Amino acid sequence: MRPHSTRVLLAWQAVVFVLMLGVWELGSHLTDPTWTSRPTLVAVRLFELFKGEIYKHLAVTIGEIAMGLVLGGVLGSIGGLWLGNAKYLGTLLRPIVVTLYNVPLVTLAPLFIVWFGFGMQSKVVLVAIAVFFVVFFNAFSGAQKVDEDILESMRLMGATRYEIFVKVVFPASMAWIVAGFKIAFPYSLMAATTGEMLAARDGLGSLLAKSAARFDMTGVYTILLVLMVIGMLMADFAVRSENYLLRWRNAKQ
Amino acid sequence: MQNNSLSEVPHVVAAERMGGVPRIELRGAEKCFSTRGSEVQALAKIDLTVRPQEFLALVGPSGCGKTTVLNLVAGLLSPTSGQVLYNGAPVTGLNRSVGYITQKDTVLPWRTVESNVGIALELHCRNVPASERRDRVARMIELVGLKGFEKHFPAELSGGMRRRVALARTLIYEPETLLMDEPFGALDAQLKLLMQDQLQKLTHMAKITVIFVTHDLSEAIALGDRVAVFSPRPGSIRTMRKVDIPRPRDIFNVRFSDGFSRLHEELWNELKDGIAYGTNV
Repeated sequence: MRPHSTRVLLAWQAVVFVLMLGVWELGSHLTDPTWTSRPTLVAVRLFELFKGEIYKHLAVTIGEIAMGLVLGGVLGSIGGLWLGNAKYLGTLLRPIVVTLYNVPLVTLAPLFIVWFGFGMQSKVVLVAIAVFFVVFFNAFSGAQKVDEDILESMRLMGATRYEIFVKVVFPASMAWIVAGFKIAFPYSLMAATTGEMLAARDGLGSLLAKSAARFDMTGVYTILLVLMVIGMLMADFAVRSENYLLRWRNAKQ
Repeated sequence: MQNNSLSEVPHVVAAERMGGVPRIELRGAEKCFSTRGSEVQALAKIDLTVRPQEFLALVGPSGCGKTTVLNLVAGLLSPTSGQVLYNGAPVTGLNRSVGYITQKDTVLPWRTVESNVGIALELHCRNVPASERRDRVARMIELVGLKGFEKHFPAELSGGMRRRVALARTLIYEPETLLMDEPFGALDAQLKLLMQDQLQKLTHMAKITVIFVTHDLSEAIALGDRVAVFSPRPGSIRTMRKVDIPRPRDIFNVRFSDGFSRLHEELWNELKDGIAYGTNV
C-alpha cells in the first residue's frame, strides 16, 4: 500500500459513515420519527444523558463486565491449562464441560436471577460463565499444544511440575488465552446487558429495556450507541494487550 | 580399562569406589524401535564406560545411534536390553544430574536472552539468589558472545545465536555431566573454535563429565580425551581411541600438531568405511 493510502481509506470510511447518518436523518424527516428516531435527536439525548443520569448505569454495566471477566477468565485459564496439561483428568472431564457448554447461556439468566437477585451479582455470574467457557477451551487447546521438547528440557533441568506449569505451560499458552479473551469480550458485553434487560434496576441493559417499553426509540438508539462504543473500546484494548503480551512473537530478526 | 574391572567388584572400599565407579556405564545396552510393524535396531549391544570428568567425543555419520546413546544416559529412553548405569546406579526415569543440549531448539520463545540463560537458576532445586543470578547470567552471556543481545527475544536471533543461548542456559548451572548433540553444528568456523575453547576451559574448571556428539572429526579430536567412532545400522562403536594430546590444549593450533594429524588420518579411514557402508546399504 502507498504510504498515504491508509489516510485516504480512513477519509472514505468517514464519508460513508456521515452519508449513512445523513440518509437516516433525511429518511426520518420524510416519515414519522417515532419509530426510527433520528441522529440529531440521538445526539441531543446523548448530551442529556451524559449530564448525569448515565454514569450510574455505565458504572454498573462496566463493573459487571470487569468482575465477570476477571472471575471467568481466571477460572477458565487455570481450569483449561490444568485439564489440558493433565492428560488423564483432561480426557475424563472435558466432555462434561462440553456438555455444560451446550446449555444456551441466556436461558441460565432466570436461574441466576433467582439465586443471586436483581443486583449486580447475578450479572457478574452470567458474564463469568460466558467468559469461562470460551477461555477454558482455548487454554485447554493451548496447554495440549505445548512443545514436548521444551517440556522435556525443563524436566531434565530439574523443574518441578508446578514450575513447568508456571514457567512453560502458562506462557506457552498465552497466545491461546489471549485469543480466548478476544472472543470473550463481546460475549461479556452481551451477557451483562442481556441479564440487565431481563431483570435489573440499574445498568445500560435495564435502561434500554425501560426505553423500549416506553416506545422511546431515541433512548434505545442512544444506549445502543453507547454499547457500541464500549464494545469498540474493549476490542481496541484486546488488540493492545495482545500486542504487548505476545510481543515476543511479533519480534523479527 | 581399569575402571571397568573395579566397578565390577561389589565389595571394594568406599573411598576406592568413589574414584573407581564410572560416571556413566553402558553394559550391553541395546535399543530397538518398532516403526510400521517392523523392528529396527538403532543401537546394537554396546559397552561404554565414561570416567568422571572425562571428555568423550562420539563421531559418526548421521543415523548411527549417537543420539540414542545420549537419550539413554539422559533417561529419555530406556534400553531394550542391557543396562545403563549412572554413578553406578541404573538410570530409571529422567536423569537430572545431566545437562542435555539436544539438536532441537528448546529455547523459550517468550523469554529474552538473559531470561532464557538464567532459567535454570530460578528453579527451586538450585535456588540461586537474584543478585548472584544476574552476575552469573551476565558472565555466561559474555562467554558465549551474546553481549548486547540480553534483551532480545529468540525470534530476533539467528540459528547460531539461539544455539549459544541453549548452550549458555545449560552451562550456567554446571551440571555434573553434559550431554551435547552437535552443539556447534550451526556455527561459523571462527565462532566454533571460540566456543570449543570456552567449552574446554569451562568443563575442565567445573569438573564436568562430557559426552559430545559431532560429525566433525577435527572437533572430536580437538576436544575429546577419547574419541569413539560409530558405524551405522545398527549403531555400534567401531573404534575407540585415546587422544594423547596434553591438556590444556590450544584449540586454535592443536590441529597442526603431529599427533593430531596422525590420529585424524587413522580415524578418518575408520569413519570413511562407516559412511561408505552406510550409503551402500
